[in-house]
Amino acid sequence: MNQMTKFGLMLGIICLAATLVLAFTYEVTRPIIAAALYREEQEALKAIMPEADSFKPGAVGGIEYFEAMNGPALVGYCLKVTGSGYGGYMHIIVGIDTGGVIKGLRILQHMETPGLGSKINEIRLGESEPYFLKQFIGKNARTISVGNGIDAITGATISSKAVTDAINKTVTEFMEKMRQ
Amino acid sequence: MKMMGEFVKGLWRENPTFRIVLGLCPTLAVSTSVSNGIGMGVAATFVLVGSNIFVSLIRGIVPEKVRIPCFIVIIATFVTIVDLLMKAYAPALSRSLGMFVPLIVVNCMVLGRAEAFASKAPPFKSILDALGMGIGFTWALILISAIRESLGNGTILGITISRSFEPPLFMILAPGALLTIGILIALINYLTMKWKAK
Repeated sequence: MNQMTKFGLMLGIICLAATLVLAFTYEVTRPIIAAALYREEQEALKAIMPEADSFKPGAVGGIEYFEAMNGPALVGYCLKVTGSGYGGYMHIIVGIDTGGVIKGLRILQHMETPGLGSKINEIRLGESEPYFLKQFIGKNARTISVGNGIDAITGATISSKAVTDAINKTVTEFMEKMRQ
Repeated sequence: MKMMGEFVKGLWRENPTFRIVLGLCPTLAVSTSVSNGIGMGVAATFVLVGSNIFVSLIRGIVPEKVRIPCFIVIIATFVTIVDLLMKAYAPALSRSLGMFVPLIVVNCMVLGRAEAFASKAPPFKSILDALGMGIGFTWALILISAIRESLGNGTILGITISRSFEPPLFMILAPGALLTIGILIALINYLTMKWKAK
């Protein structure tokens, strides 16, 4: 056997063993990871739409949403919004009523700078929800922007704008698509 | 006693962060909070121990010329395992460490230990070496992140320690990391030299 084949074989065996170990770990952890994500999503949905008792997933024009139902009645929609912040993508879930007024919202994931941009999701001592997000509630998602209904956080203008603009854009698009 | 030495050297004399100065990129990036520091330290220790054991086990079999790709495959396997386990059992931590868990693959400290130590030593010694290095890395991270989080954000492990000052934000940003690590390395070099002189 020449040397090259021997090297290739050795490397191949190690790769094979690594693949087996990884496939096993992946199979074991996959349901747990999926369950954790699902639980997190359901918790967020319930928190932003307390009056709904069931959520029906759907998608329109690339926007993922949930129909928030209270029994047979449609009370609103929960939209998955992806914003582009200072440190990367941020995943937000926002609940609106059928007219586009924000009922609640949550930032599921973001990569903003700790101490600056991360304040978009910061809860002040003695309060129960992030102070930045509180100002969105009760406002029409299609008209908000930083400076118009939403105050940016000092030192985190880009992050504040990213959240606001992403919500405005996604909700506007969504409402247009739904009307068609 | 000689065995113990393999473990102890990583804690101070050959501390990966302060003495060998390897793996600084993740150190700079994740030391913004103590919980991140602990998470990163534990993840890296797991990878170090796992890769050191296997590198040591295959050290006689693997031909010299392909040893580096073999080491990388082993390290990448362990990193992926840690990443998956973290996502499954500690999703919040996994999210805040983000990209830096997969990036342990290219942490020079891990490949450095495989190449410089485990590929020439028996498994048990390699485990001790990995544990020492891992714990050395972890305490260094905890120290750096404790300084940065307390000064830059006024908290430790997310608990507010003082409201009497407005935290200087730059401590949490990149310059704070460079300053903190620089000063700590200087201090530790000074202490080591002083003890040696005695």
